[in-house]
Amino acid sequence: MSDQLISDQEFDKFAEFFYRKTGIKFDKSKRYFVDKRVAERVKATDSESFRHYFTTLRFQASGEELQKLTNLLTVNETYFMREDYQFRCLIDSMLPDVITRHDPNKPIRIWCIPSSSGEEPYSIAMYLLEEWDGIDKWDVELIASDIDTQILETAKRGIYSERSIRNVPSTWKRRYFRDVTGGQQVIEDIRDAVEFTRVNLSEPADVRAMRNIDIIFCRNLLIYFDDLSRKVAAEYMFEALSPGGYICLGHTESMGRISPLYRVKKFPAAIVYQRPLEAK
Amino acid sequence: MALKKSNTTAPEETQSSQRDCSEISKDLISEDPSKRRWAARDIVSCAHASVMLLDQLEAEKDMSVKQVILSSLTQIGDTEAVNGLVRCLRTEDVSLRNEAIEAMKHLPREVASIMASLLNDPDPDVRIFAVNILESLCHPDVEQWLIDVIRDDEHVNVCATAVDLLGEVGSEKSEPALLALKERFTDEPYIQFAADLAIKRIIGS
Repeated sequence: MSDQLISDQEFDKFAEFFYRKTGIKFDKSKRYFVDKRVAERVKATDSESFRHYFTTLRFQASGEELQKLTNLLTVNETYFMREDYQFRCLIDSMLPDVITRHDPNKPIRIWCIPSSSGEEPYSIAMYLLEEWDGIDKWDVELIASDIDTQILETAKRGIYSERSIRNVPSTWKRRYFRDVTGGQQVIEDIRDAVEFTRVNLSEPADVRAMRNIDIIFCRNLLIYFDDLSRKVAAEYMFEALSPGGYICLGHTESMGRISPLYRVKKFPAAIVYQRPLEAK
Repeated sequence: MALKKSNTTAPEETQSSQRDCSEISKDLISEDPSKRRWAARDIVSCAHASVMLLDQLEAEKDMSVKQVILSSLTQIGDTEAVNGLVRCLRTEDVSLRNEAIEAMKHLPREVASIMASLLNDPDPDVRIFAVNILESLCHPDVEQWLIDVIRDDEHVNVCATAVDLLGEVGSEKSEPALLALKERFTDEPYIQFAADLAIKRIIGS
């Protein structure tokens, strides 16, 4: 094998293929990151060259290798209570608004995408239980999705380092975590309350199943997409949301630069985006 | 505790993405905007998808459906789609026009092949929109197209739009054309100002 496993031309082809499959675009500035991980998979699959590996990637009917590579090429760094002003906004502004028009016999549905290793959906669960009076009257469904199947397994296990839970209030830590080998584990009641699912936001069939969502947390995901994939993803999320439903993006992201379908809502704790009530 | 585990998978919904093209084309004109949006997504793999999408785009009143149609046309990016987007540049619907410009920015290869004709369109508004497309078009000829505009176009607004952009994307190669532009429009203070600014930026960089 030569020093450079993937030629420039092969990289372009691979980047185009990966973009079509996932919506994630890698330009040449990301070569070090991509090459290292692809080389790892070439070795793990005993492929004699990148070309051989790429053939497997493209034509493998099960898509198993593409999933493994996707798992390696997605970034999963997060922690509990990250950007928690949006959770405050959820409790103080979004939920009080949502329940004014919600059928009391149906659960409120909150969707976190990407789930990553579970810190965000579990943080939301804790916030709801600790801070929201409405939890006594309303059922809430928490769905957490990610394209990376390995990270979903990590999320389901719910075991975290001290560093990851450093921002969790100590009373919450005592209530919702247990000491286990390898760290602190989220208690079973909370783990059982979150539905973890694999969703590729660039895949129509995956997103089609997501319906009647009241609030979406989609933070720091769209930054990995190119403009068109970002717009398409925003259109899928529009479909998933109920009219009047909200979407929260990461603090560096703005829906105004992605799609005109949403209205900006300025709440005291955060700026979020709303699917217009009248939009059918 | 009222946190409830959900069951999001709805196989019957998932299956519906595998509908045949005649069913999808019927849904594209359904009364229900949600059906029209899904049809606009699902139709991309059908024959003559661009033609059907463009027909619906012309008739469509719902903004959310229009957005999905435009995304699908961008994804398809064939000759029909690009020509349809060019037709949108001529409409009076400002939002549709802007969306068409945005869509065309994502199609550098396809748009490049018709850029010369757009920049020579008899309608100066279309020429301005073509310059707007160049703003974010990732193509190696962008600077040369802009140089051609400021050298040859007789309409001051078209040249003004191009010179603004040259200040951002131009190199020293643009300088002679910028100086010539100042000579052509000696009575236009904005052109004098914008060309000087562009030259300053280019030389400064």
